[in-house]
Amino acid sequence: MSDFILETHDLQRRFRQGGGLLARATTIHAVNGVSLQVRRGETFAIVGESGCGKSTLARLLLRLIEPSAGRVVYDGQDLTALGAARMRALRSELQFIFQDPFSSLNPRMSVASIIAEPLRVHTTLSSAARRARVADLMARVGLRPDMSDRYPHEFSGGQRQRISIARALASGPKLLIGDEPVSALDVSVQAQIVNLLEDLKQEFGLTLVIIAHDLAVIRHMSDRIAVMYLGEVVEQAGTEALFTTPRHPYTQALLAAIPVPMPGARPVRAHLGGDIPSPADPPAGCKFHTRCPHATDLCRSTRPALLGAAHQVACHHHATLPRPDLPLGRTGTRSPAAAARFELFRAASQTTSPTGKETTQ
Amino acid sequence: MPPDPLQPDSTLEVRDLSIRFRGQALDLIDSVSFSIARGKTLCLVGESGCGKSVTSLAIMGLLPKRAATITQGTVRFNGTDLLDLPERAIEDLRGNRMAMIFQEPMTSLNPAFTVGHQVAEAVRRHKRCSRAEARDRALQMFRKVRMPAAETRLDDYPHQMSGGMRQRVMIAMALVNDPEVLIADEPTTALDVTIQAQILDLMRELQDDTGAALLMITHDLGVVAEIADDVAVMYAGRVVESGPVGRIFEEPQHCYTLGLMGSMPAIAGRQGRLLTIPGAVPAPEAMPAGCRFATRCPLAIPDCSMKRPTLVADRAGQSVACLRAPLDQIVAAQ
Repeated sequence: MSDFILETHDLQRRFRQGGGLLARATTIHAVNGVSLQVRRGETFAIVGESGCGKSTLARLLLRLIEPSAGRVVYDGQDLTALGAARMRALRSELQFIFQDPFSSLNPRMSVASIIAEPLRVHTTLSSAARRARVADLMARVGLRPDMSDRYPHEFSGGQRQRISIARALASGPKLLIGDEPVSALDVSVQAQIVNLLEDLKQEFGLTLVIIAHDLAVIRHMSDRIAVMYLGEVVEQAGTEALFTTPRHPYTQALLAAIPVPMPGARPVRAHLGGDIPSPADPPAGCKFHTRCPHATDLCRSTRPALLGAAHQVACHHHATLPRPDLPLGRTGTRSPAAAARFELFRAASQTTSPTGKETTQ
Repeated sequence: MPPDPLQPDSTLEVRDLSIRFRGQALDLIDSVSFSIARGKTLCLVGESGCGKSVTSLAIMGLLPKRAATITQGTVRFNGTDLLDLPERAIEDLRGNRMAMIFQEPMTSLNPAFTVGHQVAEAVRRHKRCSRAEARDRALQMFRKVRMPAAETRLDDYPHQMSGGMRQRVMIAMALVNDPEVLIADEPTTALDVTIQAQILDLMRELQDDTGAALLMITHDLGVVAEIADDVAVMYAGRVVESGPVGRIFEEPQHCYTLGLMGSMPAIAGRQGRLLTIPGAVPAPEAMPAGCRFATRCPLAIPDCSMKRPTLVADRAGQSVACLRAPLDQIVAAQ
């Protein structure tokens, strides 16, 4: 068995946009030559700003959309070459959690039938056994099983995301891909879902791939990270390495832009000027050169390859770039008294719910 | 009303503001008070539904009258109570001496007019000047907010611009008449992090220039730490804790503030499991009479749901509304 549960090789996806009688259609390279490897049992994160192609990539990984070129290999099998029936069977192992818990649940299905649907498709359980399994899954994700006859609109955003997670777990997946699974939620609810995903990952031995733009969530959850810019991976490394010694100028700018929740922490920031260029008309060479403070003629003409072993970076000049001064490593100035108050809150919140697991009412 | 000893010259001062929604038996916004001095920034922090946006709409006189009633309180702008003013006087202030920036620049700009026209219109609504002068003023503002290719961008329609540029238009429009009070409701939430950084820096810089009092509404504690002088934490329509930003971050006292801060993953690196606040905000009809956080507070005692805690200030200007405060006593007793 290979170390990697999921690999992509030079994965590409192009979209045609516009076009008609008089206008010529433009081609957008949403994902442009992405090769990455996800290790069994890890949490792998894909980050980037809007329009970088991360959601397209997430859908390609599960073949929810077809690639224009390249391969996706899951557990030694080339997903892109599988026939429909084989792919359908394999989907029990590959599940997806969407960002918006309001539009990803069918409003006309009860919670029980939403969670039971993968069981009907992928298993031969009797209806009684399905009901028992649904109740079990609901309890596992922190929903009261007696709410199974209710409809999605009767639940809050956090509860709906729990329903989505229960549905994703129903078929016994090995790999779970979440496209911004917590970004639509309030901070305190987000924390509940992050903790839940981590517990479930442990309990079911899952591999998680998380797409997100919130770098704090990413740092908290993931083992390794790929940073995307305009359809390409510009840097890929272990979480600690990426946050402490980012090598690509884009990663450096991204990290420098994060507001740090510590008053007075941020130094005067070097601005990353301008907007992300249109993916319909991307710059030649390194796609970041239009915003990069270190760009040279080489960057404007030649696309850098993603090179390196554990810490990969796609930049001609990464070896000679100055190290950025990031405020991220500095820890807060919480007093010992404040730390004791946080501990008091933590201890009390664990004793109020006897299992130590958060449930909604 | 005696002047607040801590904020002797507030540009904006909200006192005991309560708002009741039609069909509800309690004031969902309940005795909210804060003040902002010239050139200072106050952040209202809290999660969805805590009433931070409703509060800001009430200040601007934009609450829908059929749906909501202000049941008590004052909103003083340079000493004048806005709640006493006739609608026409408020209209003259709004967009002029008081301005607002909304979260979603796409829905708050008119898609049928060019952005230059919309900014110029904001000038002409409040100042006697020719179209050409108004357009000049709009151009000046576009340069001030560092709009790339400002002159040609004036003739763009909103859909031709990126989110960051639209937010620059909103800021230009809000600041075009040099307001003394600027209210920004989640102005960077819809933006990417590198664009957010540009907009935050820009807002700070423009505030330094104009000396406007800034009321910023946000749920992002990172943004708060960057931009705030003072912070008021809201939960279910009440301010539960407030004070200077350094104190709130270093010495949070209220259980909700602790829970909120502890649920944020640390950008400095993983520090164990995230804290969580159990449960969810109660529905208005289930709101406890005492502390509204009592239903979710791990440290609540029976009294908490009965007795309403008042905001008590310490010498550093930090106020907390909690019957169990100071928590340090509970820590010491253990």
